Amino acid sequence: MSGGEILSTLLASEVRGDLLILFHKNPGLIDTVDGIARRIGRTTISVISDVRELLQLGLLKQERIGASEVVFLDRAKDREILELVANHLKTVRIGGEN
Amino acid sequence: MTAARAKTGISGFDHLFSGAEDNTRVKTGIVELDEMLRGGFMPGDAVMLAGSAGTGKTTLALQYLVNGVKQGEPGIYVTFEELPDQIYRDAKNFGWDLHKMEGEDKFRVVCTSPNLMMESSGDNLLDDVFHDIQPRRLVIDSLSHLEMFVRKDDVRMEAYRVIRYLKTRGVSSLLLWESPQISGGSFSVTDVGLSFLVDCIVALKPVEIESALRKALVIVKMRGSDHDKSLREYEITSTGIKIESAFSNYEGIISGSPRKVASEKFMELFRGASEKRK
Repeated sequence: MSGGEILSTLLASEVRGDLLILFHKNPGLIDTVDGIARRIGRTTISVISDVRELLQLGLLKQERIGASEVVFLDRAKDREILELVANHLKTVRIGGEN
Repeated sequence: MTAARAKTGISGFDHLFSGAEDNTRVKTGIVELDEMLRGGFMPGDAVMLAGSAGTGKTTLALQYLVNGVKQGEPGIYVTFEELPDQIYRDAKNFGWDLHKMEGEDKFRVVCTSPNLMMESSGDNLLDDVFHDIQPRRLVIDSLSHLEMFVRKDDVRMEAYRVIRYLKTRGVSSLLLWESPQISGGSFSVTDVGLSFLVDCIVALKPVEIESALRKALVIVKMRGSDHDKSLREYEITSTGIKIESAFSNYEGIISGSPRKVASEKFMELFRGASEKRK
C-alpha cells in the first residue's frame, strides 16, 4: 500500500481520526473494542468497522486475553506507517496533486 | 557459562538464576524518603501508597519510576484511569519526558481496565511488556479501581493475585490506593483488608494547621526493616515531591485535629510574656 493510500485509509472517517488520536496519545492502551469506544465517547457499534480497518492496516493488533479480545497499537508498525505517510506528504504540492 | 548470563526475558526466572540474593535497597531517588526508609524499599516488595485525592500519589509514583530509569531500572506505569494521556503532560511539567523513555525501551505506560487484567488466565496482559522492557519497578494506579469491577469481598483476593504476579517476577511495585479514610478521624488505610497483603505502607495525608492546608507523609509499616516513624511535611514542587522536616511541634495530625504539643504551647506563652516585658 502506498503512502497516499494509507493516508486515505487513515482519514476515511471521523471515528478513525478519533481512534488515531486516542492511540497516539496513549500508545500503551490495551482495551476491548467496547472500552475503546467508551474512551472516545462513542458506541461499540459505531467504531467496530473502523477498528477492523485499522487492524487490517496493521496499525492495531488484536489478542485474546481470558474471555475478551483486546486491541492495542503495534508500535513498530505505527512507526513504519508514519514514515510512509511523512514521505508521501513531502511529495504533495500545497493546493494540488502530487 | 560466560560472565554475562543469558536472559530468558522472564524477570522472575532470570532473578532466580542471577546468583546471590540481592538485598540492595530500591531507592526512590527522593533523598529524604530514602533516608526515612533506611536506604529505600526492600527489593521485590509490594508497597502501598495510600492517600486521598490531590495528595500527590501519582507524582510520587512517577518520580519513583523516572528515578528508577535514571538508575538503570526500567519501569512500567499501569493506569486504570480513563484519560491517561494527562500522565504524559503532567510528567512533562515536572521535567520528565516519558515519550523519550518509552522510545528508549526503558519505560512503558500501560493503560487498561482492571477487569481485563484480572481476566487474563494463562497469558497475562502484561507479559509482552515485561518481555519488551524487563522492568524492575512497576506502579499500579490504582488498586482502588478493582472495587469497581469485583465484589467488595473479592477485592482482597484479586489484589493478592496481582501482588503475587508481580512478586513472582521479582518486580518492586508501588500500588496506589485512594484512601479517603485517612483524611478523617481514623487511620484505617483500606477497609478491605489490603494492609496485610503489602510489605510496606506509605501514607500521604492533607492536614489543616492554623487555617492552612499542608501535607504530611508517614511510613505506616515496613516489613523486615527499621524506618522513620515521624510524620514529615512534604510539598509538590516543580521538580516533584520534596520532603521537609517532621511536624515535631504538633500532635493529633493523624487523627485530623492537630494541636501544638504542650511544650510548644509553654514556649509560646513564655515568648509572649518576655515580649510584653520588653
